Amino acid sequence: MISAALAAPLAAVGEVGEGFFKERTSETLPCQAQEERLFCFDWAKDNIGEYWTPAVQHVELVAISVIVGFAIAFVLALLAHRRRWLQPPLLAATGVLYTIPSIAFFFLLLPITGFGRDSAVIALSAYTLQIIYRNMIAGLANVPSSVKDAARGMGLTDRQILWKIEVPLATPEIVAGLRIATVSTVALATLAVFISAGGLGKPIYEFINFKTNIIIAGGLAILIAIAFDAILFGLQRLATPWRRAAAE
Amino acid sequence: MPDPQVTDGVLSADASAVRYEDATKRYGDSAEVAVDHLNLEVPAGEVCVLVGPSGCGKTTAMRLVNRTVELTEGDVLIGGESVRDRDPARLRREIGYVIQQIGLFPHRTITENIGAVPQLLGWKKDRIKARSAELLELIGLDPELGERYPAQLSGGQQQRVGVARALAADPLVMLMDEPFGAIDPINRERLQNEFLRLQAEIRKTVLFVTHDIDEAIKMGDRIAVMRKGGQVAQYATPAELLMAPADDFVEDFVGADRALKRLALMRVSDIDLWEAPLAHVGQATSEVRAKLRGAEVPYPLLVDSERRPVGWLSERDLAAETVPAQPDSPLGPLLDRDDVMRDALADLLQGEAQYAAVADHEGRIDGVLSVEIISEFLASPDARVEEHGAVERPHD
Repeated sequence: MISAALAAPLAAVGEVGEGFFKERTSETLPCQAQEERLFCFDWAKDNIGEYWTPAVQHVELVAISVIVGFAIAFVLALLAHRRRWLQPPLLAATGVLYTIPSIAFFFLLLPITGFGRDSAVIALSAYTLQIIYRNMIAGLANVPSSVKDAARGMGLTDRQILWKIEVPLATPEIVAGLRIATVSTVALATLAVFISAGGLGKPIYEFINFKTNIIIAGGLAILIAIAFDAILFGLQRLATPWRRAAAE
Repeated sequence: MPDPQVTDGVLSADASAVRYEDATKRYGDSAEVAVDHLNLEVPAGEVCVLVGPSGCGKTTAMRLVNRTVELTEGDVLIGGESVRDRDPARLRREIGYVIQQIGLFPHRTITENIGAVPQLLGWKKDRIKARSAELLELIGLDPELGERYPAQLSGGQQQRVGVARALAADPLVMLMDEPFGAIDPINRERLQNEFLRLQAEIRKTVLFVTHDIDEAIKMGDRIAVMRKGGQVAQYATPAELLMAPADDFVEDFVGADRALKRLALMRVSDIDLWEAPLAHVGQATSEVRAKLRGAEVPYPLLVDSERRPVGWLSERDLAAETVPAQPDSPLGPLLDRDDVMRDALADLLQGEAQYAAVADHEGRIDGVLSVEIISEFLASPDARVEEHGAVERPHD
């Protein structure tokens, strides 16, 4: 999809290539000139600093999108948990959002929110809804009914049962959803460049024929995904000490 | 309802009577009632067992008390106060609740589980912690287990914690829904005995649901036998239930072996034992032979100087001049006055013995029990099971 779809959007989004590589000539890209070398270390050493800003933008984009998506999905899941009849329509709605092709989604938002990060965050967070919502519903449904019965019989109110029993016990599933959503958002966020939201997509699409560039930018995206995943996994372990104890 | 008075260290013996007044539960618009005009009075400090086949409404009836099932008609009074007038959550915090699946909170430590209701009641942290430790001790669990999570405990330990959690805020009433139903038979008996021992001290009003008539007879001060349609077929002490079932349904439910079941309500000391001719080491056998004539037990029992039984003397022993120190026949089963009659009979049968010596608390001979005594007792028309059999229940 990339190179074929590239021409038109790049043309439409005039500012995409602006400023990342100062001059795209064979002198500034000596490695490229020598043809078909997979990775050009000298160039990488000299230019790695250029990737700092897009990488930070990328992290911000992913973090904001997942946080927004999580907040919305969490509220939706709580609503649907209380009112069961909401579950199928909400699942369908988040499913529809999930199936919209990402580039189309960005350009659908253009007339409304314009270029920039807002549009990217709206689209990216919309994609996380389905996974986070589904996992949270499943997590809440998995809380043993005996535990809820005991809690009710002991005098916990419905609100206390939700926040002290159900949500904590659904944490593993909720975090599992967050992890999948985060990793896939890291990948999707490389497309945010098409609405000028920056991120690692910028160097990638700016010079998509330069392998060294693709490897560095892609590698950074992978590292970001791994780092997010590791942090979430660590948080889950901290938040669910009983699961480790039970496994011993 | 008075505030539960929690004394530091032990559970108070406070309890409230529970009264059902035409309590009725109907689900939706269906004509079928789950509980039908139930009238029961459970005196404070007693264990009332609701027993019956599945679908008889016993659990529903129990749940009316803490409003986890809402009344359709009628009322339930705790200590004279209607549950209808209470906020359900607050009401439930004053009522202990134990269920078959235990329902411990998997993400809370044992200490936190036991402290759940005190926490809801706003106790201070130190007091909750101290309380949990006391209760762990009360149920015979190592205080170190307090830091563990439920999944790290065995099923029996978890159920003990379930009982401790229900007792934590010193409730006036306890609801127990098949609390030992999911435990293996050996542990179940142990847990039943532990609970009876505990109950003898704390004297809570307990509503106990089971489908097992043997458990009902063992645990109940009173038993309400329920039938389908949510009606009480008979409400009586275990002894009355076994002696005089109200109708065919109860008789059927109690079982054809209800005569045998009565033995579970009696202790060995409740029956007239036989006397065996006693012999001492070194005594002339002629003296012993003289005692044998007309004795209820046809074998002499050798006892030591403290009158503790040693063994039975055989014909060959008596052929000697004096009574030997080592009798020919071993003693066989030795019973205690306080043994439950059913267990005593089991010991007799298992030991393939005709007679068993019964000792008092110091181990001195008290009499002899035989299978014949038991069968005669069961056959006799005046084999009324003494009322106290139901009240002072035997404990192991």
